Amino acid sequence: MSESTSTNTPKPSSSVKLVLLGEAAVGKSSLVLRFVNNDFQENKEPTIGAAFLTQKCSLPTRTIKFEIWDTAGQERFASLAPMYYRNAQAALVVYDVTKPSSLTKAKHWVAELQRQASPGIVIALVGNKLDLTNDGIDTAGEAPAEADGESAADGEEAAGENQEEQDVASGDARKVPTREASSYAEEEGLLFFETSAKTGVNVVDVFTAIANAIPESSLKSGRGAGAGTGQTSLGSGRPADDSRVNLGERGPATAKEGCAC
Amino acid sequence: MHLLTSVGELETGELPFENASIWSETVPGSDTQLSASRAYTLSLSPQLIYTQSQLLPTLVSSKVYRQLEFQAVGSWWIYKPEAGEGSRLYRVPGSREDVFADDMISMKSKRTLMRFLRHLGQSQSDTSEEGGIPSEEEGLDTSLLEYLTTKFQVPAELHEPLLSLCLSQASLTQTPASYALPRIKRHLTSIGVFGPGFGSLSVKWGGGSEISQVGCRALAVGGGVYVLNTGVKSLEHSTEQEAVEDARIQLQLTNDELIKTKFVVGSNWDLPEEARPSCECDKVARSISVVSSPFESLFPVTAEGGPVPVGAVVVFPGSSLGHADDSPPVCTLVHSSETGECPAGQSVVYSSVSIPGPGGQLMIENAVQKLLEMAADPNAKVLWSLRYTQLGRSSVDGTPVPNITCPSKNVICLPPASLDLAFDDSLIDTVKNAWELIMGEEASQHEFMQFEDREGAYNEE
Repeated sequence: MSESTSTNTPKPSSSVKLVLLGEAAVGKSSLVLRFVNNDFQENKEPTIGAAFLTQKCSLPTRTIKFEIWDTAGQERFASLAPMYYRNAQAALVVYDVTKPSSLTKAKHWVAELQRQASPGIVIALVGNKLDLTNDGIDTAGEAPAEADGESAADGEEAAGENQEEQDVASGDARKVPTREASSYAEEEGLLFFETSAKTGVNVVDVFTAIANAIPESSLKSGRGAGAGTGQTSLGSGRPADDSRVNLGERGPATAKEGCAC
Repeated sequence: MHLLTSVGELETGELPFENASIWSETVPGSDTQLSASRAYTLSLSPQLIYTQSQLLPTLVSSKVYRQLEFQAVGSWWIYKPEAGEGSRLYRVPGSREDVFADDMISMKSKRTLMRFLRHLGQSQSDTSEEGGIPSEEEGLDTSLLEYLTTKFQVPAELHEPLLSLCLSQASLTQTPASYALPRIKRHLTSIGVFGPGFGSLSVKWGGGSEISQVGCRALAVGGGVYVLNTGVKSLEHSTEQEAVEDARIQLQLTNDELIKTKFVVGSNWDLPEEARPSCECDKVARSISVVSSPFESLFPVTAEGGPVPVGAVVVFPGSSLGHADDSPPVCTLVHSSETGECPAGQSVVYSSVSIPGPGGQLMIENAVQKLLEMAADPNAKVLWSLRYTQLGRSSVDGTPVPNITCPSKNVICLPPASLDLAFDDSLIDTVKNAWELIMGEEASQHEFMQFEDREGAYNEE
């Protein structure tokens, strides 16, 4: 019996619930769209209609299947219900590098996660819209707002993470210095990246870093049925689903049981 | 127990709750077994859902069931006091198999019980009305007690167990047979629908509150907006005479925001005072207790291949607590830590008795103490409890569900919520009525709560 299954054993696969947080219009959904579909939409409408997106992230020893929860725009009213955070193993807290107030808001979300979410949650702080800064334009010198898609991806990563002093005078829209956000992230023990959903800079890196940071102990094998459907039974270390009742499985017993003698 | 906080005389205009107080075994800051507050998800609507409730097909057709996790409520227990050390919890047989396996009921009683159960089963096939008992049947206008004794000579030892199966919050003599029989039948016919050994469900992470959260998220994903922790402060109708069809109502929210809306829908407690119809409510005493025991013995697997139950019903007849025979029972719904409501090793006990105020709270305290004595180790104790009075609509007296009312144009007031311990399907009809009022001619029966998946919503933007 064991022979038939011993060949080609796939890498272990685990589902990870990841929640998005951050002020409206910082590019949360765009980051996910870039990660999941390698796509970007200019002037995207505020998010509706998106509930869950899933994307696999392949690591050397295992595969992580991200189940990504979008806020569906509810952050505008501070109306995220507890079920949104529940059992999340990872959170992406996004701010806009051209908007200081969005970092303040991001700090609020981090505090909220530290209060409400599972104690072991992996939090990544992400400064998005790097393409609007001098760090985000490629050497061809295009205007920041028109920085071209995929081609700009290489070469900027180092700049995005390391450069500390920004040249605001030269049309650079950056308002949040990298160092300000990175030192905050360091204090709070968060992963930190600056990204551009528009050019794709650092986007995959964020998700890979999160996947690597999730402790092996909090992972359990994907259940198949639950993946992508938003069922919140992931990775909380509880025993298997022996208490779960599936509404799809109507039992064979008839309604007469109990009284038909 | 120490009183931590007393909310005292809450404005009943604001919430369907009164006299809330929080009690704790230890004062805050001292050594306590209570975990951090985020380890708990306590519910103000812990109703169990029978497997044949119309709520379940509604959750399925609206597609929100996929974000919910359903768990089984297993055994019904009843407290039987005896002299000396003999008091115990007795597991109520909930199915034919249970009755045969029961070693406490005499053979003669079993035969009587079977005759009664068969009668219930037959009365279903006799009527086209689902769940109906033939209305021409005699004796239904009496109490359950009289019905059981005069029509079937059911022995006294089975009276309280049968009463517990209908989750009545009144005593045997105060519970009408016309109310009890369909509910006993509901209990029996619900077993086995979604798996062996159980007939009712609870929603993981806190029951009704979880369903509303999932509804809110579905709304947001569909492009709607919800705002939590915000009420309506005042409501003003447009004074303009023209364009009556498009008239908007202006609302001032409790966060002082102004919004305009075509319709306002809510219960008495949601509407501002000037827009609120008067309401006569029933009141019950309730409590939520966090207990330092897993109560493992209350959650046996009730049938081979069945799920591990996470909920159990334990009923304490009023007489078993030293009160008069016609005093109401204390009904408790015990949730294990598998519900996600509390840490492992603890349980949450939701209790209710239809005597509001200190008298009812005393009965509840007494019942929870008995529960600990019967089913927990000697060191187990109540770590924390919330005691309150809940306002709503009692169903035992047989009055029909009140209709929705429209205190002013396009303001829709829902009747007070049911105080039933099982989900009351009439809520779905009420919501449907409100939906029909809003949709007008566009309302078509088969579209109610039917939602299609958005194309690609589950794998792409």
